[in-house]
Amino acid sequence: MPTIDVSYKDLCRLIGRKIELNQLRDYVLYAKGEIDAVDGDLLKIEIKDTNRPDLWSAEGIAREIKGRITKNKGLPKYRLGKSKVVVKVDKKVSKVRPLTVCAVVRRLKINEDVLSQMIQLQEKVSVTFGRNRKEVAIGAYDLHKIKPPIRFTTVKPDGIKFVPLEFTEELTPREILKKHPKGKEFGHLLKDCKEYPIFIDSVGNVLSLPPIINSDYTGKVTEKTRDLFIECSGFNFKFLMPALNVIVTALADRGAKMQTVKVVYPDKRMNTPDLTPKKSFVDVDYVNKVSGLGLTAKQMCKLLEEARYKIRLKGKRIEVVYPAYRQDIMHQRDVIEDIIISYGYNKIEPVIAKLATIGSMDDKEVFSNTVSDVMVGLGFQEILSYTLTNKVNIFKKMNLKQEKVAEIGNPVSLNWNVFRNWMLPSLIEFLSNNQHVEYPQRIFEVGDVVVLDEKQETKTRDIRKLGCVIADTKVSYEQISSALDALMVCLGVKYELKAVTNTSFISGRVAEVLVNKKSIGFIGEVHPKVLTNWNLEMPVAGFEIGLEEL
Amino acid sequence: MMQLRLTDEGRKYLERGLPEKNLIELLKKSPLKMDEAKKKIENFSIALQWAKKKKWVQVKDDKLFLIKEPGTIAEQEALKKISQGKEIDPKLLEILMFRKLVEKEREVEQKAKKLVGKEVLVLTPELIKTGLWQKVKFRPYNVQFPGKKIYPGKRQPYNQFLLHVRQKLVELGFKEMVGPIIETEFWNFDALFQPQNHPARDWAQTYSLKYPKYGRIPPKKIVNRVRATHENGWTTGSTGWGYEWDVKKASRLIPRAHDTAISPRYLAKDAEIPGKYFNIVRCYRPDVIDAMHGVEFNQTGGIVVAEDLTFKNLLGLLKQFAFEIAGAKKIKFYTDYYPFTEPSCQISIKHPKLGWMEAAGAGIFRPELTEPLGVKEPVIAWGFGIDRLAMHALNINDIRSLFSRNLEWLRNQKVVR
Repeated sequence: MPTIDVSYKDLCRLIGRKIELNQLRDYVLYAKGEIDAVDGDLLKIEIKDTNRPDLWSAEGIAREIKGRITKNKGLPKYRLGKSKVVVKVDKKVSKVRPLTVCAVVRRLKINEDVLSQMIQLQEKVSVTFGRNRKEVAIGAYDLHKIKPPIRFTTVKPDGIKFVPLEFTEELTPREILKKHPKGKEFGHLLKDCKEYPIFIDSVGNVLSLPPIINSDYTGKVTEKTRDLFIECSGFNFKFLMPALNVIVTALADRGAKMQTVKVVYPDKRMNTPDLTPKKSFVDVDYVNKVSGLGLTAKQMCKLLEEARYKIRLKGKRIEVVYPAYRQDIMHQRDVIEDIIISYGYNKIEPVIAKLATIGSMDDKEVFSNTVSDVMVGLGFQEILSYTLTNKVNIFKKMNLKQEKVAEIGNPVSLNWNVFRNWMLPSLIEFLSNNQHVEYPQRIFEVGDVVVLDEKQETKTRDIRKLGCVIADTKVSYEQISSALDALMVCLGVKYELKAVTNTSFISGRVAEVLVNKKSIGFIGEVHPKVLTNWNLEMPVAGFEIGLEEL
Repeated sequence: MMQLRLTDEGRKYLERGLPEKNLIELLKKSPLKMDEAKKKIENFSIALQWAKKKKWVQVKDDKLFLIKEPGTIAEQEALKKISQGKEIDPKLLEILMFRKLVEKEREVEQKAKKLVGKEVLVLTPELIKTGLWQKVKFRPYNVQFPGKKIYPGKRQPYNQFLLHVRQKLVELGFKEMVGPIIETEFWNFDALFQPQNHPARDWAQTYSLKYPKYGRIPPKKIVNRVRATHENGWTTGSTGWGYEWDVKKASRLIPRAHDTAISPRYLAKDAEIPGKYFNIVRCYRPDVIDAMHGVEFNQTGGIVVAEDLTFKNLLGLLKQFAFEIAGAKKIKFYTDYYPFTEPSCQISIKHPKLGWMEAAGAGIFRPELTEPLGVKEPVIAWGFGIDRLAMHALNINDIRSLFSRNLEWLRNQKVVR
């Protein structure tokens, strides 16, 4: 969820009245916001909705609040003029970054608040909504430094030189990717491209190298800038259009004039932005079925207008028109939520549904608890481990040959990149972390391991297991086998121990645990080689059994 | 020297006379009928046995006659001598031992005897048995000493906390759901109406699997409905996401990224209506590991499904959790967003110790989610952030301590009450 910085004074100014901070805390709920921190004039507001970029600015928040508390209700009105700016899209960009939509914004009175909101909104939209600039990269430029028509084309990595933003020396695109901080951060987005996308004007001034960086000359917006050229580039109009609308309507809310730009593709022409409001509807009965509020159609209409919809009541159906910066409405439900938000969550009486249901824990969980209680009675301390581990821990250190296990493709750390397929390594690792602690150490864990199983829908199966170890100056097979025996007697399970070989254990001191002639685990004295691998200086005996067979 | 002493029975006969002696005394007056004698003599069968053996009495026509009057009775004299610590004839001793009227004192008892009048450290079984404990003094201990430290077997405190939460949810009528650790993207995302290759799916960073890579997709009926809903809304009244849905992507396996992956499986198959369900399961996300992010974490959540559930019931559910489980003193509802619910809500609570905190969230599953799974009724999905409460209960600041690898800490940790 985006958290945005907003000036308290600026927000009040946008809403049009001074609002007490505590009152504002309630009002930001209308914009799905929550004030996380207050530092003088600076408010940190967390906006919960990751699918409403229109709310990620002071302007957007103000729009929602105004609808609820001022006379400024219904569809926000925007005027869209025409500029003479043309952007020609070269066929060559189709391979690297095929689409762009653009706009011109004039007579913007930029001050510190306007600038910081604009930069922040651009940043949040391209990061959160634009998937870290992959789907949407946004550039804003001083229109007066550009000589249209503008071309959106490609260049060879060393085919051009310009000064990138915040730099003083001219660099080629290849050099920018290597040297500029933004090049390092976003260069991967152009990784497999033979040529790089570029916005360039009619006299050869570079506007930007999207989605990396603007040029310092055209792309530096300051408090002196009055007229802007704005472009969004990416792969899908579905994301680009709303992104552009969000940016330009926020500036329009500051009093700027919006103008369209003619974008000429090899096969089509379009005028962007398109601010035509969109249409949807809600059924009166369905609103009440979902909300439980028992509202009249008239009440609904009022609440919808507060949520910035234009409404038309047609019998049992309300037709709604909503602003072009919204792209989140797919179903009546999305509109209904706005009605409830206008009504106010904290004005609704919560009702506990009276449902005759019977609660129960999962059988496996119940049995795990029973087993754990027996182990506690036998004097063992329960521990809890991660199911993620690494191959060294479960194979090499345990003196076993490596096998296939469920493995993560994008691990954060190589310490945790496979799922454990048995329990004892987790327990022995625990012992090796606690060598300074008083012995004897008697520990157990009941938990899941993941094994491969072609027959399963997920090609894997979770097995609930019990692992148990004793470490002490003197530890014998008999100590651990009497613990296992006591457990089995408590559970009333008949079992047999059958001598086997297992390289994790001392030869001749390891057995398979059989229940109904089926192996459910093993028991033994841990091999000194394993102990040495874990830097353990105390002998260890242990067992591990599957609980599902008991 | 062997020490002898009278048994309880021996002491009794010393005081009241041997049964055979008492019988003789009685018969001296006149012969008696058997059952009359029986009434008058304690331990009559013993008396008769020995009197007959010594040929002092005779039984005739169910009557007892004295046929020879003994002088002193040697056994009676011997009992007296032993009680005085005098020696007796070994043959007589044998008889008395046989009759269990005399026993030999063991060495420990002799030792115990030596303690009479002295101060002792340990109360022994012999002191108790011989009654000599009455004649000794017990040395006082330092009763303030707590004793040597011992480490009992104990449950892991976080697990114990989770068990309490489970029990509480069961008391509130919730049934536990479970699901696989490794899950297909289908159940993790697609069945929850999360579009493929769309920013809306990026709300959760997820792990991918290197091996195994692909799982099996559920029956065609469900898959086709989910596909249609993603592409054009199917019959749910939604516009859908408007893209071409890829079955191959849906069959990719990932470690479960969130607990809501479990609910659609139940909705598609096992859910009872009305039904209240919960899960507490391990989830996996590639977060940078720090004091607030562990390698793995548990999520607590679930669903409530019933006819005619409304947003008011959703608020009721959150309120119930806040007061019943989190111990809230005050609550406040917040507008919220979850990618698979609409409308959605979050509840913050005023905890008596922790102050205001986010506690739980809930929403009504989108129809684009429930209808393809064959569920027409409204489904409230909820999630409950219990780890913060767990950290409070365990008195820790670092979330990684929930999975503590420190035995000393575990040994000294209080049990969750």
